[in-house]
Amino acid sequence: MSTNANSGPAPVLPPPLLNRGAVGWAHDNLFSSWHNSVLTVVSAVLVVVGLWWGLRWVLVDADWTVISTLGGFLAMGEYNTEKACAGQNCFWRPQVSVMLVMVLVGMAWGIAQGGTARKIAIVATVALVAFAFLPYSFERMGMDVRLLLAANIPAVGVGWALGKYTRLGSIRGVALSGIAVFVLILLLLRGIPGIPGLEPVSVIYWGGMMLNLLLAVVGIVLSLPIGIALALGRRSRLPVVKALCVAFIEVFRGVPLITLLFMSSVLVPLAFPEDFPLNRLFRAGIIITLFSAAYMAENVRGGLQALHPGQAEAGRALGLPSWQTMTFISLPQAIRNVIPAIVGQFISLFKDTTLVTIIGMLDILEFGRAFIQSYTVGGEVIYLDRQEELFIFIALCFWVFTYGMSYVSRKVEKHLGVGER
Amino acid sequence: MTTMESKNGAEDIIICKDVHKWYGQFHALRGVTTTIKKGEVVVVFGPSGSGKSTFIRTINRLEEHQKGQIIVDGIEMTNDVRNIDAIRRDVGMVFQSFNLFPHLSVMRNITLAPTKVRKLPASEAEKIAMELLERVGIPEQAYKYPKELSGGQQQRVAIARALAMQPNIMLFDEPTSALDPEMIKEVLDVMKELAESGMTMIVVSHEMGFAREVANRMMMFDEGVIMEEGTPHQIFNDPQSDRTKLFLSQIL
Repeated sequence: MSTNANSGPAPVLPPPLLNRGAVGWAHDNLFSSWHNSVLTVVSAVLVVVGLWWGLRWVLVDADWTVISTLGGFLAMGEYNTEKACAGQNCFWRPQVSVMLVMVLVGMAWGIAQGGTARKIAIVATVALVAFAFLPYSFERMGMDVRLLLAANIPAVGVGWALGKYTRLGSIRGVALSGIAVFVLILLLLRGIPGIPGLEPVSVIYWGGMMLNLLLAVVGIVLSLPIGIALALGRRSRLPVVKALCVAFIEVFRGVPLITLLFMSSVLVPLAFPEDFPLNRLFRAGIIITLFSAAYMAENVRGGLQALHPGQAEAGRALGLPSWQTMTFISLPQAIRNVIPAIVGQFISLFKDTTLVTIIGMLDILEFGRAFIQSYTVGGEVIYLDRQEELFIFIALCFWVFTYGMSYVSRKVEKHLGVGER
Repeated sequence: MTTMESKNGAEDIIICKDVHKWYGQFHALRGVTTTIKKGEVVVVFGPSGSGKSTFIRTINRLEEHQKGQIIVDGIEMTNDVRNIDAIRRDVGMVFQSFNLFPHLSVMRNITLAPTKVRKLPASEAEKIAMELLERVGIPEQAYKYPKELSGGQQQRVAIARALAMQPNIMLFDEPTSALDPEMIKEVLDVMKELAESGMTMIVVSHEMGFAREVANRMMMFDEGVIMEEGTPHQIFNDPQSDRTKLFLSQIL
């Protein structure tokens, strides 16, 4: 029997050409059969009609003055009203807070030297500065407000320089700066008694998007470490630790957030000394953080569960104590694997901040809703039929931030190479 | 015979006395008693489920034995965490599935334990890592990630990683079983070089060519006990137990 050996290596051929041009593509994908053609035509008609109606409403029928009237209130609630801040000259504090955040964003840009950080820094700066050019009268939006918005450009620049040329230009530097900025912002917003220009503003007047963002940042920054600790506790071999963590997770996951917020006025003060200055904002922050941490714990635990046991074994076989095996081997991989779930939880937390309205805090959504029903001009409620404009705008505000989070998470995932191990 | 006798003067580095291990009701190790001397290369073989992997995993306490005594390098294996950590620093292990850390570069895989456990400065750990990578023949892969390497290269990195802790004993748990045939030799060559350098090695493997060439002693495991042990010459040419004869006839 003769063997069938080739005399040389098989020739390397290019792949067959499949590109048949736009017409070919349309034929293959849109009109490949009669029912496909019908679906294509019907969908096309629906899309065109929907776009036509939508755009006509946005550009012609809608009355966006409700948004411009509300403007500052949607951004910071009653923070800058006469009752909260005598003379109504506190608007600069939230604005400077934004600038401080932009310094951080600039630092990230300065360190990363391009890529996602640069894109986010530029988009955010352009958006903020664009607000400075809104075509309102100076009575509605003063020159000072506009200048402070424009000042975000130098803020990003300063951050960029700090990130690139100073010792703050490291992950640790940014983390420490982040904490410093957060404390500064809280001090700035709360005010310091006795210092002119920094008169205290009670937290009951903090509202609008500022409130949503503050609660979300606190919740996001704290819930991940607490969640990790709970996940580790749940896997602990110490029965008491394990039982406590399981109990905590199951209780906080098993009760609606609204219920927890209601209970916060009763329960949270129990955990602190009697004269501890607890305010609603603080309580809401704690409850949202713990609620989110319970979910986070299960996400992280899922990530740990999915790891090959050989990973931890290899660490232990090298003589790494178990906490180092966890810190350097298991957790980084586990968290990397569950980034989508973690970011999903962050997004959900951000949206859940709207629930604080039920303990009497006026976040952006509640403020808008209440405003529409009570804003009168000459004894007449004039914006009652402008709910569509308002709620679409608020939805857009939330979407911008949540999309930002999901965009960053996609980039982080890609950077860490999830799914291509 | 001569190789075994030449080790007779050396000190006992691993002493196992009547070691038992249960998984639930399953009696995995049923009284293993043996002594391994410094510099010895022991190849452990036997049918699957015979307890051979469990046995070497008890030596660095990846599995806990429930009865009997294990003394490694003068330290008795107890529940004392300090003892366990001390023994693990002294005993390197190589796994069937490599178990490299996929999120770390090859270099970081090797330097992690020396910098964290032995507190070596990073520069020194990297110098040692580079020397080891040269020893296993892949210095050019130092800054790649494990997934970019072939199976044989990964296993050689795993060997370098274990050696970076400067262990006195190396355990190999079926180091070539997950490898494509053409990569087995490159790993066995590294192990052979290691054996020649005087490392004490316990190798769970069915690579009989390697055993014949390198081992001082072979152990046939069956149903949780050492069914038979002896020099490769004795095992291959004059096996005593029927189980050993049968098993060898199936794999050779």
